[in-house]
Amino acid sequence: MLNLRRFRSIFLSLLLFMMFFVPQISMAETLDNNVPDARPAASVPILKSAISLPVAGAATTNQLNSARWLVHKDAVEGTSKLRLVIDTSDPVIVSSTLDGNGPQLVLDIKGAVVGDLDDSITLDGQIAEKVRFIKKDGNNSQAIVDLPAMIDDGDYKVFTLKSDTANKKSFRVVVDINKPVPKVVYNFTPGLRNKVIVIDPGHGGSDPGAIGPNKVQEKTVTLGVAQKVKAMLENAGAKVLMTRQTDVDVYGPNASAVDELKARTIVANNNKADVFVSIHINAFSNPTVGGTATYYYQKSNYDALLATCIQDGLVATGGLQDRGTYPAGFYVIKRTTMPSILAELGFISNPAEEKLLSTYQFQQQMAQGIVQGLDKFFSQAAKRGGGL
Amino acid sequence: MFPKRIFLVVMLLLMTVMLGGCDNTTQQPPVPLQNENPQQQAAPIEGATVTPSSVGQDTMKMTVYYATKDALNLVGEQYVVPKNTHPAQTAMELLVAGTKNPELISVIPAGTKLRNISVKDHIAYADFSDQLVKNNKGGSASEILLVASIVNTLTEFHDIKKVQIMVEGKKIDTISGHMDIGEPLSRSEKIIKK
Repeated sequence: MLNLRRFRSIFLSLLLFMMFFVPQISMAETLDNNVPDARPAASVPILKSAISLPVAGAATTNQLNSARWLVHKDAVEGTSKLRLVIDTSDPVIVSSTLDGNGPQLVLDIKGAVVGDLDDSITLDGQIAEKVRFIKKDGNNSQAIVDLPAMIDDGDYKVFTLKSDTANKKSFRVVVDINKPVPKVVYNFTPGLRNKVIVIDPGHGGSDPGAIGPNKVQEKTVTLGVAQKVKAMLENAGAKVLMTRQTDVDVYGPNASAVDELKARTIVANNNKADVFVSIHINAFSNPTVGGTATYYYQKSNYDALLATCIQDGLVATGGLQDRGTYPAGFYVIKRTTMPSILAELGFISNPAEEKLLSTYQFQQQMAQGIVQGLDKFFSQAAKRGGGL
Repeated sequence: MFPKRIFLVVMLLLMTVMLGGCDNTTQQPPVPLQNENPQQQAAPIEGATVTPSSVGQDTMKMTVYYATKDALNLVGEQYVVPKNTHPAQTAMELLVAGTKNPELISVIPAGTKLRNISVKDHIAYADFSDQLVKNNKGGSASEILLVASIVNTLTEFHDIKKVQIMVEGKKIDTISGHMDIGEPLSRSEKIIKK
């Protein structure tokens, strides 16, 4: 058995060490660690509150001490959000509302006065213009975030974080504002006739892409499938543009990787394409992994729809495992201006799928899946009005 | 005296650090690189820096991310290593060395070396040898997991908010022709297996 008093004295001396000898870099609370869901259950839809419970022993007047912000780009999805952090001496209660007249996001901060920080801080200008701190009655204050345009309730999150002495962090109010998806409205008509469709066979020329255990190259499969898609679409009356028709680099031999990718987006952007479809084959070090996945970058409210339609088509005709659709910050789908997807038909690193993908029959099935998906996309997109 | 709640929280923290759970521990402290010392330059938005100290606990805890076998997610593996002045470099070296956990998969291409790592204004510049690109086997799934494992492992450190991946001392736009990584990237929470 441990003697409690002794235990406590050991602990206290350790604690003193911790307070005075903090390592240069220590472990963080992760970006979204300890993030409560900022939505209170069953309340007014646009009211959000975040509450951190008071801790005994607060000595000084609680105030907003400082504020800082950063724009974060998600490593996988490529989407941006602005994070504003306001330091407070002690816990506060925060509620937030969106005001369409501003347009602005208003944070009511209960239990802290405006301290020695700038009345107004300029933000990035794209996601949010500036934040202003305003004194209210008693021990309360307000932070008003001016926005370039009105956002939706789902585009932002407000929460509080406790103090973290080991990392020298005080109590914090955190505001995350996502960069909203532009509200573009396309007036698509149903059917494939007269649609301008860009097909991008992944890799090519000096870049073989992924190579399977039996030496099948990704660039060969993507071109094979793309040519079959082209033939089917032209039969249906569509105008098809290919980023490459043969085994070549699109930009030119030995071009930089980024020039190569840019050249593919230019084909679509300069020809006012309706949609852009990039065809790839996946790879992973574990040879048992297989299946079909489709990636999109949400630059309009049509990209995810296009991904779902094509993924459904590919799974229906190819019959491989359905890995689903995912947002991803891929160059060619991010930098094309129209709805775009990148489909990973199967895994070339999986011997069974490598074999399938190299056959005429299976390539024909995959092409059929893409064409069916495109047809479904145009009929569903045509039904969508502006209010997505 | 300390409030009881804080006492308990710190107690728990201390115990996890001291015991280290059932973590893999690396036996040898990595050798520091030339000119490598994560210069923690205070950005105007983040406040004062702290000086390292050789006194106190002699280990530090870190989380390194590896891929799940189905190539869909990352899982953080905990390490307890001897304390040093360059924890971010140590974390990257553990990532490059790979996992011994049979349930997880190392994502860094074979032969890749960490050339350098520096931190400035909360951005970590992680510079790898060209095997990162040359020995990459392609595929979107692999590239996503590779980028996210580097970024998520480094953003575990509280003064690193973003990561710029570099190869042979230069920024690169993409590793295998899918992802757009020309600028500093922030943590991706969704890819972590919950």
